[in-house]
Amino acid sequence: MGVSKAPEGHFSILYFAAASTFTAKSSEHLLAPLAAGQLFALLEQRYPGITDKVLTSCAVTVNLEYIDLEGDGDGDDAEHRDLVIKAGDEVAIIPPVSSG
Amino acid sequence: MSTTEPSTYNPDIPSAPITKTTSNIHIELTPHALSPSSATSFVRSPSAGATVLFIGTTRDTFNDLAVSSLSYTSYPPLAMTTLFSIASDILKKHELDKIAIVHKLGECPIAEESVVIAVSAKHRKAAWRAGEEALEEVKGRAEIWKLERFEGGEGVWRANRDGVMGVRVEDGEGGTGKKSCC
Repeated sequence: MGVSKAPEGHFSILYFAAASTFTAKSSEHLLAPLAAGQLFALLEQRYPGITDKVLTSCAVTVNLEYIDLEGDGDGDDAEHRDLVIKAGDEVAIIPPVSSG
Repeated sequence: MSTTEPSTYNPDIPSAPITKTTSNIHIELTPHALSPSSATSFVRSPSAGATVLFIGTTRDTFNDLAVSSLSYTSYPPLAMTTLFSIASDILKKHELDKIAIVHKLGECPIAEESVVIAVSAKHRKAAWRAGEEALEEVKGRAEIWKLERFEGGEGVWRANRDGVMGVRVEDGEGGTGKKSCC
């Protein structure tokens, strides 16, 4: 994807499809560490309106693994809200897919 | 999801095909024109009595609006993992001989192939079912996104499963779950 390596103390975040449109970029570097549960709030701060318009329908991966930030709806807490995104990690915002 | 897209948007597209091939699975994301015959050749096997080939091509309308062009973007390392996992699961479940899944990235002219799936099995029923199931899994899960541009230049990101995960429908034009291809 041509993503440059994150500078020291940062992680990379990739934006696809509508997320890329909204942010007007395909990737950037953000300060690490960051609690995964704070990710959407941080993005909302940087890109006001992105939560409603884009993020509510998106999944998130960290180092190519999907993480659960919303829980499964049966009252249990989301599994990964406490996960910490570390320097050098690759995070991606994954909108609903549309291959075929 | 339906998002207005400037006509200048130009996602990163790999310049060469990305492939993962084993003795019975071939996965490929490619910026080049797809070759249904190559996929069919890959799955050919002396122990298979049935080969099913699916070709998805891009259509020129969406809800009667003229689509002028389509392009596909992806998160290749994740999409390759997902496609390989889909192929492995279906190979096992339907006792296939072989399976090939190839998807286009970048600009895909109208009426050209955007996805090709070929499967071979001992008998026809398994091959039919596996072919259909593979396509549905790919459309539901592979990390690939389609941008439709309409006559006039405006673009819209499509979602195969609008309505899931709280997808917002902006103006009633998008979000019907209909697509301009297969």
